[in-house]
Amino acid sequence: MSLLVVATYPVEGGAVLEGQVSLGMDGSPAVDGAPIPASQGTSALLAAACRTTSHLGGPLPRALVAGDIGRGDGTRAVYKQLAETASAVKPAVVVFHYMQPIMALLRQAVGELAEVCPDALLVADAGGMYAAKAAGLARRFELMTPDVGEIGFLADPKVTHPAYVSHYLFGCPGFDPVALARQAYESGGSSRVLLIKGAVDYIAEEGTVAAIVDEPSVPALEAIGGTGDTITGLASAFLAAGFDCVDAAICASRANREAGLAMQATPAMRAGDLVARLPEVLEKNLERWRDHSRNSDN
Amino acid sequence: MRLFQRKEKTKEPAGEEALGLFLFDEVNDALAAERVLKASAYQVTLVAPPPHLRAGCDLAVALPRVEQVGAQRLLADSGVHVRDWVDDAEETSSICDLVSTVDFGSWLMVRAGNMKIVVDKETGEIVNTSGGGCPDIPYLNLHYVGRRLSDVNRPKEVGFTLCGLMLDRAYLEARALLNGKASR
Repeated sequence: MSLLVVATYPVEGGAVLEGQVSLGMDGSPAVDGAPIPASQGTSALLAAACRTTSHLGGPLPRALVAGDIGRGDGTRAVYKQLAETASAVKPAVVVFHYMQPIMALLRQAVGELAEVCPDALLVADAGGMYAAKAAGLARRFELMTPDVGEIGFLADPKVTHPAYVSHYLFGCPGFDPVALARQAYESGGSSRVLLIKGAVDYIAEEGTVAAIVDEPSVPALEAIGGTGDTITGLASAFLAAGFDCVDAAICASRANREAGLAMQATPAMRAGDLVARLPEVLEKNLERWRDHSRNSDN
Repeated sequence: MRLFQRKEKTKEPAGEEALGLFLFDEVNDALAAERVLKASAYQVTLVAPPPHLRAGCDLAVALPRVEQVGAQRLLADSGVHVRDWVDDAEETSSICDLVSTVDFGSWLMVRAGNMKIVVDKETGEIVNTSGGGCPDIPYLNLHYVGRRLSDVNRPKEVGFTLCGLMLDRAYLEARALLNGKASR
């Protein structure tokens, strides 16, 4: 049950890297032995996924990434190699993360994955999520992980990027994640399961809220770059390990918050500080969370 | 010598004025076009192209149709690549202009759309950036964190995408709030 992360890393002209993800002594991820810079974004996702799969005892995540600083060159290089990599890896879960949101390329990629690994569950966050929604492919995805600044984008069928959202904005009177989750699903802008990340995390299944996680409350997490990416990494790793998707999202939300509490988060800390706390948090809590999860009898 | 490069400043285009759109292959081309045209006093607006003309992370420049010829020549002279011009600006969308803040005591977080920037209120140091989904956002995070707001170039000058443009809005607001003045 392997996890494949498809994304970019912030190095201009950085090579295409494909292989197993590992963590260095400082907690920074490496792909096939090649370190990638620790920052918000995919490096935070990979580090969290790595810690989670290590705890679960499953295979370490794999990644297909290339350097891209916003021109889309690395994104194109990754899409070019995706079918070959997926065919070899046969992943259980494929995550699309920080990438240039190019609708045509994602459309082609989803079609290719349906051929080479038809049973793989698809997860999208960041640019992968933007492209999936804009291209009308959201329903093909098992899980998306928008934050409160992005759920309005999924709910508005007319916009192709969060920068153009003019309705359903976080911070406006009447902003309602529960209603937006339903609206996003009914309009085809949402995956089957949504994890809406914010001061309160909402997990919605087919447009209906299935769980709310609001404890422990660690407001500083919202200010730390990459702490939304770590949730996505956690949830994806749980999903690849066979968790029910809603349970995976609930456990990810809880683990992220507990790690934030354990690190005594301030807005000036890093996602790496949170990832470093995940082993102890998972060791202490995961079994109990699973015993109380929605599908613990399955 | 360039002729007709600079024009007299005109009034803001009236609501009923017929607008057209310059379309671009890359967001940074659109940002460069805006910069060049505004420097020559054209009244332009960054917008999302109509849905049938979008490919993904798109940005277009709207201006009065009657000014297309001179504006296009200026862009060509300035080396800004334009993919196309369309005579119809209907069904365009404006960029989100909602900015909000959260006070964390020693730190201030400013959110613009899907992007956030967090600064130390005492020193002006950028301690975090987050949000977004385009590949320049982790790059901008590495570029900015640990540096002072006043010591860095604007995100729209360093980044390449719509997410970078939203971070620019958050950056400008943070500067305005901490310095009591508007953008550079």
